[in-house]
Amino acid sequence: MAERSGARAAQDLDRVLADLRALSEDIDSCAVLSGERDLLSSTHEPGVDRERVGAMLSALVYLSERVANESGKGHISQLRIDTGEGHLLVVRLDGGGVLAATTGQEARVGLVLYDMRNARGEVEKAIAEGSDQ
Amino acid sequence: MKKLLRRLFLLGALAGAAYAARSYLQGQMPGKETVQIVFDDGSTRSLASNTTEGREFTDIARKLVEAGL
Repeated sequence: MAERSGARAAQDLDRVLADLRALSEDIDSCAVLSGERDLLSSTHEPGVDRERVGAMLSALVYLSERVANESGKGHISQLRIDTGEGHLLVVRLDGGGVLAATTGQEARVGLVLYDMRNARGEVEKAIAEGSDQ
Repeated sequence: MKKLLRRLFLLGALAGAAYAARSYLQGQMPGKETVQIVFDDGSTRSLASNTTEGREFTDIARKLVEAGL
């Protein structure tokens, strides 16, 4: 039963990410990392190594938290990286998890971040329901 | 005397151009700010691409953008 509930929570998270991609067409891929640095859900293409993606996202979260500490701040709330070939966008969730997305170089980044912030509540709800069960 | 001053000026301009070109090739020009961090108090911090800190972020982000999440 617990397994079924966990699977349902994962489905809810997948649905939230699918809705976000449908709403924000500039998003190429997105993922949710828990506060314990587990990759809970992602829209990865076949052939993408989930563990590797989770590890790299964790490393980015670690780096940004390090910058926050060095700057005497509490936590980051948003991270935006321009790689020259596209953008990586991260929005922090309650509990220390993150919602991350990649876009192309020409994406309307401000609009994507706005959509991500709006989706944050749904993502947090799906995670909370998954951890309650 | 006038000719000498003109030559000195030309020499200085050439040296300046060479120094600027060298600095550019060595990445000494101010880097583009590629990382923007917003903290929970609303303040922001930007990191340039030519700093060690900025490069740490962009190296990982580039791989994630290429492979997808």
